[in-house]
Amino acid sequence: MNKAAAIHAQPPTMIALVLFTLISLALGVIANFAGRKGSFLEKYFLGNRSLGPFAVALTAAVMSGGTFMGFPSLVYTFGWIVGLWIASYMIAPLTVLGALGKRIGQLSRKTGAVTLPDFFRERFGSPSLGLLTSILVMFFLCTNLVAQFSAGARIMKIVLPSSTAEWVFTDDIIASSDTSYLIGLAIFTLTVVAYTTYGGFLAAIWTDVFQSIIMAVGVMLLLPLALKASGGLHHATLMGMAQTDPGFAFGPGALRSFHPITLAISFFFMWAITGMGQPSTMVRLMAFRDSRTLRYSIIYLTIYNAIVYIPLIFIFVAARSILPNLGSSDDVMPSLVITLANPYVAGLILAAPYGAVLSTVSGWLLIISSGLVHDLYQRFIRPTASEREIAWASYTATIAVGLIVAIVAMHPPDYLQLIVVFSSSGMAAAFLMPGLLGSFWRRMTATGAIAAMISGVLVTVGLYIIGKFGPDALGLGGILPDTTDIGPAKGLRPYYLFGFDPCVWGLLASLIAGIVGSLLSRPPDPARVALLFDLQPPDAPAPATLDLHPELKSS
Amino acid sequence: MSRDTDPVVNNARREAVIIGLAWLASTVYSCGYCYLFGYIRTGRPLGPDDVHPVLGMPSWFFWGVIFPWGVCSVFTFWFAGWFMADDDLGTDHTPELEQDIREGGLHE
Repeated sequence: MNKAAAIHAQPPTMIALVLFTLISLALGVIANFAGRKGSFLEKYFLGNRSLGPFAVALTAAVMSGGTFMGFPSLVYTFGWIVGLWIASYMIAPLTVLGALGKRIGQLSRKTGAVTLPDFFRERFGSPSLGLLTSILVMFFLCTNLVAQFSAGARIMKIVLPSSTAEWVFTDDIIASSDTSYLIGLAIFTLTVVAYTTYGGFLAAIWTDVFQSIIMAVGVMLLLPLALKASGGLHHATLMGMAQTDPGFAFGPGALRSFHPITLAISFFFMWAITGMGQPSTMVRLMAFRDSRTLRYSIIYLTIYNAIVYIPLIFIFVAARSILPNLGSSDDVMPSLVITLANPYVAGLILAAPYGAVLSTVSGWLLIISSGLVHDLYQRFIRPTASEREIAWASYTATIAVGLIVAIVAMHPPDYLQLIVVFSSSGMAAAFLMPGLLGSFWRRMTATGAIAAMISGVLVTVGLYIIGKFGPDALGLGGILPDTTDIGPAKGLRPYYLFGFDPCVWGLLASLIAGIVGSLLSRPPDPARVALLFDLQPPDAPAPATLDLHPELKSS
Repeated sequence: MSRDTDPVVNNARREAVIIGLAWLASTVYSCGYCYLFGYIRTGRPLGPDDVHPVLGMPSWFFWGVIFPWGVCSVFTFWFAGWFMADDDLGTDHTPELEQDIREGGLHE
């Protein structure tokens, strides 16, 4: 019997997951009562800008279902080189939180922005830019959400007793479809939609913090067990080399050129730089309490990354010695946990990836529903909507988005981690340069920001399309050499132009288009720029007020 | 209106430049070291005898990933703990923006 499949027979694992689910629901209820002051929008979508350092750090840890499922599989398969794949986490806390945090926090307060489309619309005074931002955020996050819902359902399917389907479906239906997956999807959807809808932003944040702690505890428990059982890292390394080839101990990786040096450089962009441009990160940078909070969150995240990611590499290199030649490397995490830990500890550790998916999904659901309600419904359809109407629209949007994504996820996509990489690259290519240039460059214009967004997305998506169909099929075979020998062997593979990941080219295109587009367009309104870049009296208006009342410019 | 640049902008820009340089240094060092000492390439085959373990890790991994990770962590503690300024991020204009959205809608 496959060790991962044996989880079906482990009731403690299910008990741990049920407890995790109940705690998440309870956090939603508590969060609903916690933020009574302030406007509904600021409370529901931004937690009243009250996040403390611990919450900012742990929710910026960039973890999703892939961290505890896909990453171990890569280490087990390709060996030590995956440590270099993740190495930019050494500097990521500084880049992701420190480079833009203070200015985004300040600009969002000066403009009154509570969402990313709000932020760009008010920074540049352009409704078109706000609309474009909404559309791009929804496109990339919905793509990603389908994969995350699917991951949550798969974990639940593993944990549920195998007889569950027999309680709910007839034999005919069980024979014709993956009913265990559908039950898992239904439970996952109900849980995440319920506590997110009820608790809003704070519920998403608190669940994120909770699962991050569980994950760190799980890693700390697993590390000594794995090192002891493997006979030491060096022994495990030699075992890995014997089972694969010398690439297990060296670059570019075992069995294939998984991580050539051009991709190693690309992945210092991927985690440390593209992380700055993620809507979920930018929203957190709008929600932290003050500069001191930002400083401490950088320190906490540095500690967290070191105690989680470095041990994960050790643990799953050691797995080569403990579980040699696993049939499916995707099973390495649950198999190792079941082999090493007692059932109750195994249940606790296996709850972590489920929690990671839950918290990731809840944060993204809110970003999408805020885009629908605040940036589309209120801005373009019902500007005079009452607070109560906005509240009900927000609840409805959160539920509707969750249900629609769940319906799409009934046909699960493959290769979760690669879909995450695709959408992260696309969002960074769209939003990082407008955010970076808009924060520090007075001359940046709305035209430049739109050019940056469109160029970044077109280049990134274009390289994925070329990768999907191949240069030959698109008539580019004579110009672009084949790159199928590097990177992952299967799944949503991009075209690696000159060996670099599309995120590098997307960011470069966005930077150039942002600068050229700004310089070729009319300079921005000096009064708006002064409000956002110069020292102002305490009673200075928001830019939107200045648009409505131009007479204030002379005061 | 004053034309003096907001000190928060100056501080944030200076900090962003230093962070950018730290990222560049970590990228160049890590990728450079690992490529020179940890990559199998044409004319440089590597095998079990080339692992040279340091605390059980291949030596290239220790010096190319773990060592700079430690240096970056120390730098980050200093930078975030002592160097970054505690700037006042100003008044939150969210209620004003919500009012502006409603007022703008009424004018249309």
